Amino acid sequence: MDRDQFLKCVDEILELTPGTLQGSEQLDDYPLWDSTAMISFMALADSHNGTRLSPRELGACQTVSDLLRLARVEP
Amino acid sequence: MHAAIRAIEYFVPGNLLTTGDLAARFPDWSVAKIDAKTGIQCRHLASPEQCASDLAVAAAQKLFASGASRPEEIDYILLCTQSPDYFLPTTACLLQSRLGIPTTAGALDFNLGCSGYIYGLGLAEALICSGQASRILLLTAETYSKFLHPQDRSVRTIFGDAAAATLLSAADTGDARLGPFVYGTDGEGAPNLIVRAGGMRLRGSPDTAVEHLDEQGNLRSSDHLFMNGPEIFNFTLSVVPSTVQRLLEISEITLDQVDLFVFHQANRYMLDHLRKRLAIPAEKFVMAMQDCGNTVSSTIPIALKYAAAQGQLRPASVVMLVGFGVGYSWGATLWRCDTALD
Repeated sequence: MDRDQFLKCVDEILELTPGTLQGSEQLDDYPLWDSTAMISFMALADSHNGTRLSPRELGACQTVSDLLRLARVEP
Repeated sequence: MHAAIRAIEYFVPGNLLTTGDLAARFPDWSVAKIDAKTGIQCRHLASPEQCASDLAVAAAQKLFASGASRPEEIDYILLCTQSPDYFLPTTACLLQSRLGIPTTAGALDFNLGCSGYIYGLGLAEALICSGQASRILLLTAETYSKFLHPQDRSVRTIFGDAAAATLLSAADTGDARLGPFVYGTDGEGAPNLIVRAGGMRLRGSPDTAVEHLDEQGNLRSSDHLFMNGPEIFNFTLSVVPSTVQRLLEISEITLDQVDLFVFHQANRYMLDHLRKRLAIPAEKFVMAMQDCGNTVSSTIPIALKYAAAQGQLRPASVVMLVGFGVGYSWGATLWRCDTALD
C-alpha cells in the first residue's frame, strides 16, 4: 500500500470522500478523530506493515502527516 | 484424567437496548456505524432489582431443566463475577442454597472479567483431576450495565448482561478433554478498564459520584466503568496472537488442526482484525455478539451454544477458546468436544 492508498484508508476512517486528505490537515479539525477512529487507525497500521502503535503517541499526533510518520508510511 | 464440558445453558434478562435506541441517544453515531464497529444489534440489561445471582440461578435452572444434571449431583460451584450481590457473603454460597445443591458441595467466587471462563475451566479441570470434585457447576454472571453511565457511549454500545451455566465432569474417553491451558496477567493495564470507586481503595461517596465529561463527550463518574478503548485494543494485539501461538506450541498442533476458534466476543471490529491477523478462516471463527453484546465472562459459553446451533460446533471438533480483558488478564485452552451442546 503506497502513501496515497494509505491516506484513502484514513479518509474512510474519518468518513471523508476518498482523496480528501493530503497530509497537512490538523486532526483537531476532524470531530470524527476520536477513540473509535484511533482504534481503526491502529488496526490499519498493524495490517499495513505490522506497526504496533502506542495509543499515547497516537493521541499526541497533531496532523495527518504525524499519523503517517508514526505508522511508518512516510519518513 | 481430564475434565470435559457436558452441557451449557445461558440466560439473558428481558430489558432490551437496541442499536436503534443507542443511535437515537447518540445522534452523531448512526445505527450503521455502531453496527459496523461493534457487530452488536441488541443488548440485554438487568432490571434494577436483578443481580448477578438472579441471572446465574436462571441459567443454572435451565441447565437442570435440560436434564443434564440434577442439583443434588453437583459437588462444586464456581462463580465468576465482578458484580457480586454483596462484598460478603460469597455469592456462590447464596447460589448453593437457592439452587438446592447439597451442603457438602464446595463453592467459591472468583473475580475475573473477560478471561474468566478460561480460568473457570482451568479451575474445574484442576479440581476434577485432583479428585476434589467430580461434577462442577461453573457459573459466569455479570450485570455490568449497573456500572455504565447512560451517557457513556464508549461502553454502552458494547456491554450487555447475562449469565451462563456450564456442567463439567471427568472425561470418560481419551479424546474428550480440556487443556492444555495457557494464562497471562499484566496488572499494568488495570487503569485502562476499571471501576475506580466502590471498593476499599476508594469508597463510594458524593465525591466519587461527581460526573465528568471526557474529550469524546462521554459522561461518567468514578462510580462508573471506564474503558480506554485504544489501550485495550493495543493490549489484545499484543497478547492474543502470541497466546494462540503458545497454546498451539504446547499442544503440538498447528493452526489448521483447530476446527473452531471461539474468542471472547469483545466486539466485531476487534475480532475481525484478530482473525485476519492470525489468518484464521472466517468459517472456523465464531462471531456471536449480535444478539446480546459483550457479556464479559459469559461470551465464550454463549458463543459455544450459538456455534452448536449454527452447526459450526460438532462432536469431535477441536475447539480453541481464548479469553482476554480486564486486569489485564488472559488465557486460552483447547476443548476436544464430545458433546452435542444444542
